[in-house]
Amino acid sequence: MVQSIILTGVAIGCVYALIAITYNVMFSASRVFSFTAGTLGMLGGVFGSLFISRMGLPVAIGFLLALAGGAIFGVVTEIVAVRPVLKSLEQHLYVLSTLALALMVQQFTAIEFSTEQQPFPRLLDLPRVDFDQLFWLPMLACAFVIVGLELLYRHTLIGHAFLAIAEDNYAARALGLPERGLRMASFAIAGGIGALAGFAGGEMLLAFFANAPTLTFYGFVPVALGGMGNNRGAVVAGLLLGLFQQAANFLVGGIFASVAVFTVFIIFLLARPDGLVGSAVGRRV
Amino acid sequence: MSMTRRQALASGAAVLATTIARPAIAAKEPIQVGYLPALTGPSSSTGIGINRGIQLAVQEINAAGGIDGRQMELITRDTQSDPTKAVNGAAELTRGQKVSCVFGPVNSGESLAVVPLLARTNTPQVHPCWVDTLTDPQKYPMCFRNAPTNQQIGGAANRYVVEVLKRKKVAVISDTTGYGTASVNAYVPMLKEKGAEVVYQGNVDAANPDVKPELLRMQSAGAEAIMPWSVNAGFLSRIINTRGQMGWDVPIVGQTTLGIGLIAGLLEKHEYWANVYPNNFRPVCFDGGGKLTDRTNGFLDRLKSAKIEMGDTLLWWIALGYDSPRMIAEAMKAVGTEPDKIVGYLNQLKNFPGVYGDISFTPERHNGYPDEQVVMVEANSLKDGAFKLAPGYSS
Repeated sequence: MVQSIILTGVAIGCVYALIAITYNVMFSASRVFSFTAGTLGMLGGVFGSLFISRMGLPVAIGFLLALAGGAIFGVVTEIVAVRPVLKSLEQHLYVLSTLALALMVQQFTAIEFSTEQQPFPRLLDLPRVDFDQLFWLPMLACAFVIVGLELLYRHTLIGHAFLAIAEDNYAARALGLPERGLRMASFAIAGGIGALAGFAGGEMLLAFFANAPTLTFYGFVPVALGGMGNNRGAVVAGLLLGLFQQAANFLVGGIFASVAVFTVFIIFLLARPDGLVGSAVGRRV
Repeated sequence: MSMTRRQALASGAAVLATTIARPAIAAKEPIQVGYLPALTGPSSSTGIGINRGIQLAVQEINAAGGIDGRQMELITRDTQSDPTKAVNGAAELTRGQKVSCVFGPVNSGESLAVVPLLARTNTPQVHPCWVDTLTDPQKYPMCFRNAPTNQQIGGAANRYVVEVLKRKKVAVISDTTGYGTASVNAYVPMLKEKGAEVVYQGNVDAANPDVKPELLRMQSAGAEAIMPWSVNAGFLSRIINTRGQMGWDVPIVGQTTLGIGLIAGLLEKHEYWANVYPNNFRPVCFDGGGKLTDRTNGFLDRLKSAKIEMGDTLLWWIALGYDSPRMIAEAMKAVGTEPDKIVGYLNQLKNFPGVYGDISFTPERHNGYPDEQVVMVEANSLKDGAFKLAPGYSS
């Protein structure tokens, strides 16, 4: 039982963490919480099934095309649902615009791909073992993204530029940084990460249009718990969420597992409104 | 204004001509039958299968001269698997198009919304939905069901588990949909009445990627059979896969979806599909010798010559679709298109020879499908949308 809780809990927690990072990367560049993050996860699974199972492309090419598809959808999100509402952030219109885009893509996927769960291909031709690729692929994807983002943000010039617009986009623009271009690049990276989450967790979640709202919801929990825009907090919170959810499945089971997760989530936010690693920020009144 | 005798005669002749000609033209107008399938949306796989049979039947009816020389015209409104759209479609069919009869909706969730509406408009309705409350000769005297009820479906599965497989300790699981929870609530007391002990009963979120905790609970409770009630192929395949991974060889007995081709694609190994017995319907099943009835073989030949795809759907869906307009056409041929007369005819219908099953109604019983034709089949015997009867059924 313990082995099952840990393996499944950590694996699904990694998927949640990746969706949370997707939220954060988009948020850092635009101050917008784009509710297309879960849709990107869903598209990763659907693209994987479409390119590899249906079209018969090699796994490597299917993987790259899935990431490219996610990146393109990330850019489209920025152009269609984020850029038009940036001037009135305080009205929170992005909630409507990003949710509307997410719903449109979800319905389009249902109509054009399938309304039923479709099989996701087994990516590596390895025998099934206890510590299967079903579990370690999402973990590997999560580790890759964490290390990749750290290297990008800390050791590259473009990474420093991303951090600059995340800190203060007015100052960054005043210094001559191409804010719009960097924002679009951030959304493309976020799109790739979201698609990677769905692709790596595809064998577990299957290719299914209705994964979008589930991932949007469960991916947002680590964002709230870990502190908005905080990737390290999101990863820790994502893993804890996965483990707690799986433990609740074993201990209380059925629909009560979801109830347990959200009860703890609400209690935690009441106790620490700024999240796991966040701290209260002073504001002028 | 004065009128000459010639003008008066001409006007009179024109009036006479139009009054006499009108019934003759009306007699040649197509008979409109409303049709409310779910052709898109999350519950559309059933509707798509049924639609193939419906279209073939209407083509055949019209090619054979129609209904007393009038063509049958289906007025289709896709419900998109959405009860609200089904209600809008039904309202438009009855108030706008003024159809003579309605077939559908084909999903219970939509029918729950549409049946009371059609009852208020005095429109004869035939539907194939399983929820028990969807027929009631007192409340809905014009509504008929040409398919089994949930009681018949659950009854057949329960009989198979308790009487044929001789399993007394049963686990009953469903997803959290209305259909799933209603099925568990209805079937658990039926199982207990049959002397079975329900050692596990649960509703699980179908999006949960791991059902191992639930199966471990069933195993530790001593379950000897698993009965899942869900139309969610992903959820059902996870139950079958997990049972296989655990090396736990208990029979899985339940909903027809356990046998659809999509499940095969979602299984880790094809052998996991053994010892899985979904509901099905005797007239469209292979007997022990692998043969279908002559009536069903004839239907298959017609499907093949019409080049209708069967590999991605179930034969009983197509057969049900095929039978429905034929039954309505037979009623209209016999008594015309007046609603009361159609209802009167259907109230006396006895053994309408359908491919899907022999349908009979009485004024007190609008559930037309016979109990004995609801059976269990071997899921892994799926071929051309049809299955082999499960062990224990005589041919």
